[in-house]
Amino acid sequence: MSITLSRRHFLASSAAALAVGASGVLPAWAQNANLRLIFWGGQARADRTYGVVDLFTAEHPDVAIEGEFLGWADYWPKVATQTAGGNQPDIIQMDYRYIGEYARRGSLAPLDSYVGAGLDISSFDQDQLRNGTIDGKLIGVSLGVAAGATVFNSKVLGDAGVDIDPMRWTYDDLLTHGPKVWEATGGATAMAPDGSGIELLFENWLRQKGKALYADGKPAFTPEDVTEWFELWAALREAKAIISPDEQAIDTGQLETAPLVRGKSAMNFTTSNQLVAYQTLVPDPLGIAIYPATSADSKGGHYRNSSQYFALSASSAAPEKAIEFINFFVNTPAAATLLGVERGVPASSAMRDAVAASLDERGQMVVKYIADLGEIAGDVPPTPPASAGEIEVALKTKSQEVAFGAQSPADAGPAFYDQVIQTLGRTS
Amino acid sequence: MTVQNATSTIPYSEAPKASVWKRIWQQDAPGYLFLLPWFIGFFGLTLGPMISSLYLSFNHFDLLTAPRWAGVDNYVRMFTNDPKFAASMRVTMFFVVFSVPLKLAFALGVALLLNRGMKGLTLYRSLFYLPSLLGASVAIAILWRQIFAADGLVNKFLSIFGIIGPSWISNPNYSLWTLIVLSIWQFGSPMIIFLAGLRQIPQDMYEAASLDGASKWRQFWKITLPLLTPVVFFNAIIQTIEAFKSFTPAFIISGGTGNPINSTLFYTLYLYQEAFGFFRMGYASALAWVLLALVAVFTAFSFLTSKYWVHYDD
Repeated sequence: MSITLSRRHFLASSAAALAVGASGVLPAWAQNANLRLIFWGGQARADRTYGVVDLFTAEHPDVAIEGEFLGWADYWPKVATQTAGGNQPDIIQMDYRYIGEYARRGSLAPLDSYVGAGLDISSFDQDQLRNGTIDGKLIGVSLGVAAGATVFNSKVLGDAGVDIDPMRWTYDDLLTHGPKVWEATGGATAMAPDGSGIELLFENWLRQKGKALYADGKPAFTPEDVTEWFELWAALREAKAIISPDEQAIDTGQLETAPLVRGKSAMNFTTSNQLVAYQTLVPDPLGIAIYPATSADSKGGHYRNSSQYFALSASSAAPEKAIEFINFFVNTPAAATLLGVERGVPASSAMRDAVAASLDERGQMVVKYIADLGEIAGDVPPTPPASAGEIEVALKTKSQEVAFGAQSPADAGPAFYDQVIQTLGRTS
Repeated sequence: MTVQNATSTIPYSEAPKASVWKRIWQQDAPGYLFLLPWFIGFFGLTLGPMISSLYLSFNHFDLLTAPRWAGVDNYVRMFTNDPKFAASMRVTMFFVVFSVPLKLAFALGVALLLNRGMKGLTLYRSLFYLPSLLGASVAIAILWRQIFAADGLVNKFLSIFGIIGPSWISNPNYSLWTLIVLSIWQFGSPMIIFLAGLRQIPQDMYEAASLDGASKWRQFWKITLPLLTPVVFFNAIIQTIEAFKSFTPAFIISGGTGNPINSTLFYTLYLYQEAFGFFRMGYASALAWVLLALVAVFTAFSFLTSKYWVHYDD
């Protein structure tokens, strides 16, 4: 058997594929400057981003922008191979875990020389500029302010008669109210997912205890802390306040697999900007709260992070044009309105004002959450060490070992600590 | 004599040389020319990367900065100080040891059924072969996720009998078995080869055996299986190599993590994580070469033992 494909068919289908892959992007061969843009995210983010690309290219017909987006897990291998192959896109979306590594290896261009000359950061928050500064050089332009947050299903909690104070709720609340949700839903839905493997949540808990995840490239916690952490979650598991280990293991990090989206839990531990994306997948109204506190008045666990940055490739052939686009992206009211708070609350106060009027209810909740966090938030931690991504994965695996009963919290604490020391000490 | 030699060798040695080159040019050049696309592929995409991977396996290389010479560090670390290497080796060995024999047995069973000359044989043969074509694809792995999830097809079926099944793919006790079942389900290609092998067995042997009163069961053990051993051997080698290389299903089903608790951390998946997740290209290259050596040892072992159990006609 053979498949025949006429030339006309082939052209039509490849044109269609092109249109789908780079929706809203002008054909790349008709322009003077071609820019390539890469980012991670889902369809909601892609639609907004390509909308801004269209606005920009309408004003700048001499520039063509070719966009590409992937899921988080596939994104970093792709960027790394492109970088190694000398094929880096001009504009690269960066995360705080990776930006330091790329910047120190010289594959991202410092932006200081463009400040005031193409790049306007005059209305940016100081802490957002600091987040994007590596070794004294501005590398990343913050695309949004975000913080750790619990996104919860108001209807499920309400039906179970559970009422939490969004800015003050605690792990004790989870322990006492959790069983109510379990009973009210006949065991179908737990109050929370199993958060023992979530690095951001662990970090938040450590910070509330006055510790941190890393300091000077070393762990800033003890094996006993890890044991205590796993014991906390073992008690919650025992009380049926959180979902079972096999339900938790289905969550591979994509939004669609999250227990909140699958109706298995009434909340998810995530970041504030994700409220917008979760709401598109969950029919019930969602609310936003802090990560559970260790006590109602606990402070310093949260911090206002930059959810992501745009960075400029050091090998870009048209850096001025790329800067022009980045500047357009973060400083144009029309772009800001289109982007909303899907990447986080705009880092520029001018854009925050521009966005405020057009935000829907969820968007306004995100802005309010970031503002309310002011009193309880602490300082932004320093850029994590190079192996932070690997340790994030290791915590998840270790938490499963404890949850499935393969290792006790008492053994898991020292075991995980050793693993962290080994990983940090290892050359690449 | 020396003079004579000197004078005669010059024309003698040069004339044929020219004609050899001429012959190569005229007769062989078109052949090599036609092979050129393959040569480019082989040298550019297979041999070149293999050599650079061998070189990289003796280096530390993070993709972003130049490789740094590491000697045998990567190999030493693998065998002395890497629990994840050991874990991934265990997972892969378990997978090979269980999936290959079960898959071959299943393939042979179906081939025997199809070999009885039933109606619509070609249709069945195509249908049974279909999973092999789809097997390594992303779509099937996602389908598998759905079938074996907590509220998937398997548990819906079990619930008819009042059994509440676990979430098969996310429970470390069962997750690897779901992948073994997926591998067995792709029995099509060994089955086709078994079918061809069964056709080669002369019918008169069965007739003679029947006349002597041998049961079907006895005929299978005394005629079918011995005469089929070359095909069994071939299938076993191919499937073992395939099993060692298995990657996509585990990658998709575990979301690239090899979890729960590294229970589906196939060797190739670990290799991928080290290379593209944690940017240790040197270490990943060393892992790849150890896998190659391992497969070579397995294959060599199979060939060495084959003379004791594989019966060739001659």
